[in-house]
Amino acid sequence: MQHMRERELDWPEKIVSVLKANNICSISFVPDAVIGKILKIAEKDPYFNVTTLAREEEGIGIITGEYLGGRYGVLMMQSAGIGNCVNALASLAIPYQIPFLILISQRGELGEFNACHMIMGKAIRRILDALGIQHHTLDREDNVETILNGAIKTAYSSDQPVAVILSTALVGWKDEK
Amino acid sequence: MINRLEATRYLIQQLSDEPVIASCGNPKFDLFTAAGDRKANFYMWNSMGMASSIGLGLAMARPDKKVIVLDGDGAILMNLNSLTTAASKSPSNLAHIIWDNEQYQITGGQPTHTRGKADLESIARGAGFDKVATVDTMAAFKKALSQILSEKGPWILVAKTDSAGAPGRPPKSPVYIRNQFMEASSEKGERP
Repeated sequence: MQHMRERELDWPEKIVSVLKANNICSISFVPDAVIGKILKIAEKDPYFNVTTLAREEEGIGIITGEYLGGRYGVLMMQSAGIGNCVNALASLAIPYQIPFLILISQRGELGEFNACHMIMGKAIRRILDALGIQHHTLDREDNVETILNGAIKTAYSSDQPVAVILSTALVGWKDEK
Repeated sequence: MINRLEATRYLIQQLSDEPVIASCGNPKFDLFTAAGDRKANFYMWNSMGMASSIGLGLAMARPDKKVIVLDGDGAILMNLNSLTTAASKSPSNLAHIIWDNEQYQITGGQPTHTRGKADLESIARGAGFDKVATVDTMAAFKKALSQILSEKGPWILVAKTDSAGAPGRPPKSPVYIRNQFMEASSEKGERP
């Protein structure tokens, strides 16, 4: 039977609760405004070990090290950060078969105001495809749990990173023009 | 000047089952040559610069183990930002050894910036580490290592080495390396 809630959780709350339910206790991130909403909730919970990265690539190494030690992590970044971690994905996480969830806050599509985010933002799916990394897009509040749970299961059954892209259709965009 | 293989052999003699992460390039050749049958060795075949980050993640996941990172000057120069992250998290069980021979030895000995003006000890201090030392003799290496292995860190030890090679080559299968290492070093939580 479905657990009764006072109110429906919003998407950042859903993400944090899915991570916890899947024993993913470590968060490595480079922030943006979207990731910040998730962190605001996670940081209040002592369950999570939260690591601020200076550059996204470090997160591939850190999560690999944690996995080797028996702890499971998630990497959070903006789409620009995918460009900063391509070789570490291709030469560490994928060949050494290190599973984890990558949460990517999408720039460069709906509602973008900054031309310098458009190229990487639009390229990330093709980059992930070129690396053979499975990716899914979250664009509706009502399938957040299904897609995240499914992506995490696939990552850990295949021993590979799996990416979930947070669309601005779900998380919104800035008013700036 | 320190011979890197001799120093690696000495290090292994001081260890029991502590995990050792060896960077791509020569550190992994030395480690395999010194102790190829040791399961708690992790050999990197690429992802240059990631040794320091892997070490940080492992040190955070396994606070009960002293985690040793064997890095190179060229590799750490590619991921200097990782020093700021490690210093910020500051796991007391992390021991990061950087073999500094001031060159990209594996690609033909082209000079790195430590041959010029860069000083890794100053960089590590600036990143926020306070337990940092530079050694350039085997005697000084042994003395520093004894302190690193017995006292809380995180530590950074810059060891000035020569560019002698080591003949050993670790297994080429990343999955084999991972499985061997995890058998020795992983305390598995419930898998997602």
